[in-house]
Amino acid sequence: MMKKIAVLLLSLSLLATFLTACAQENGAEDQTPANSTSENDTAEDETPGTEEPEEGVDLTILYEADDDMINNYSLLAVNPDAPFVDADGNAVSDVYINTEGAAALINWMLSEEGETTATEYGYADYGEYLFYLSEGAPVSTAEIPQATEETKVIRLSTTTSVNDSGLLGYLLPIFEDTYGYTVEVTSAGTGNAIANAKSGNADLLLVHSKSQEEEFVAGGYSYVLPSFDSERLTFMYNYFVLCGPSADPAGVKNAASVRDAFAAIAEGKYPFVSRGDQSGTHTKEISLWPEELGITVDAASVEDYTDWYTYSNAGMGVCLTMAEETGAYILSDKATFLTFQANNGVME
Amino acid sequence: MKTAFVQALALITSGDRQLGIILVTTLRMALSSSMIALLLGAPLGVLLGSYAGRGKRTLVVINRTLMGLPPVVVGLVCYMLFSGVGPLRHLRLLYTVTGMVIAQVILLVPLIAGSLESHVSTVAPDIRETALGMGLSRGRILLLIINESQYQLVSAYLLGLGRAFAEVGAVSMVGGAIAYKTNVMTTAIMNYTNMGAFTTALALGIILLAISLVLNAGVALLHWRLEG
Repeated sequence: MMKKIAVLLLSLSLLATFLTACAQENGAEDQTPANSTSENDTAEDETPGTEEPEEGVDLTILYEADDDMINNYSLLAVNPDAPFVDADGNAVSDVYINTEGAAALINWMLSEEGETTATEYGYADYGEYLFYLSEGAPVSTAEIPQATEETKVIRLSTTTSVNDSGLLGYLLPIFEDTYGYTVEVTSAGTGNAIANAKSGNADLLLVHSKSQEEEFVAGGYSYVLPSFDSERLTFMYNYFVLCGPSADPAGVKNAASVRDAFAAIAEGKYPFVSRGDQSGTHTKEISLWPEELGITVDAASVEDYTDWYTYSNAGMGVCLTMAEETGAYILSDKATFLTFQANNGVME
Repeated sequence: MKTAFVQALALITSGDRQLGIILVTTLRMALSSSMIALLLGAPLGVLLGSYAGRGKRTLVVINRTLMGLPPVVVGLVCYMLFSGVGPLRHLRLLYTVTGMVIAQVILLVPLIAGSLESHVSTVAPDIRETALGMGLSRGRILLLIINESQYQLVSAYLLGLGRAFAEVGAVSMVGGAIAYKTNVMTTAIMNYTNMGAFTTALALGIILLAISLVLNAGVALLHWRLEG
């Protein structure tokens, strides 16, 4: 009896393995034409310059500093009286939000000291500034209270790009040491970071997706702090950069605008890695494709482009690795790309 | 790979403060969750294994299903329970080590119970037959079974401990991988991988494996010495 069952189970699992393997092969066949064309193109481009094998990272910045590529970062305080709802949609009124702590951190980040420190970050390590102060950034002169037992722990929900760039590790200890707070940082894509705040798990947000921030404000989840005149406190920016293999088969380096560069990638079906996680980088990327492609944050919208478009649903670093390995184009924020490049140098 | 080994050694010898905190958090989380899970799961497993009445098969099937609980699902459920809008929000357990331990215990109890159940189920009938022949009471029979399952008990605990060390899906959702607070070895490895710092990530992996080796060797030595 037992033997029979064992044999049955074994053969079933074998059958399942074969079936899935076949399905994968079919998928692979679909992909071959696109891949081979792009490889051919790459080969053509590379032949004149076949020098020594590349060392370290081949992925390079091909296009940057276009006005369409500005990446604005905003601070938003979470409203303690926001219309919070639980998983079933029932209103929840007694959600704990550390408003005083959040206000203290925002006032410090937007003080002269905070803003100068943030914009100085990165120069010592990378020889380039990673974040710039926005024109007309709000400046706070409000006095920052010392932490008390109740306001001590501040929950900051932010995006991976801010966290992975190392900015907060540089900035927050100064604030914590001076005023006695502890800032607990959780990082995820902007969409996820905002969802986290909507579930009452953050006291403030530091994110970079205008449309999603505006939706958050319109939903009543943020409020205007006494010392400011807006919920969205946009205070620093940097640039998104379009990266790709140094051979640049799509020729985006010489594109007239970043939109042309994206159009060239789509036109030639060159491999492109998308974050696919509703992050700020993802929302920026989908705004740059030619409109007639109909690419949105929804995975279903790229179903027809799977031969060249990778909807990866992963963090910036993972996607950069993926692009590096597959010789694909990718949109990244500059800070993460430079950090990635620096870290990757020690890989063996 | 070589660089990773060198870096792992350098990291250990440098006495890096952040690494120290990650290690302590990992040990605190893994040791307490595996110990609590053993205290809950072992009695369940022994009882289930020695029980021979109606409904045993149903209970065994349920437990085996729970052994396959995906950690991310447990993480998600705990996240929703402990979340700021969740029903258990007043306990303030989200992004705490206690919250992570609770998620781990949910994952480990069925595992430990199942591992003991399968052993006890095979030895219990013989022991019971002998014991009944000797005229022993039910309580004494149970004690006898536990005595016969010592080895299995240790290996079930180690199974739980290993799983607690290696788990990443649930702890990252409930703990949030907050630096100096809830960041454990596995979530730190994820973080470094995300930043493209593969060598550092691998170095942490090597350290994690080394700790696991030391703990396992320690328990095995202790066990063999006790057995004589």
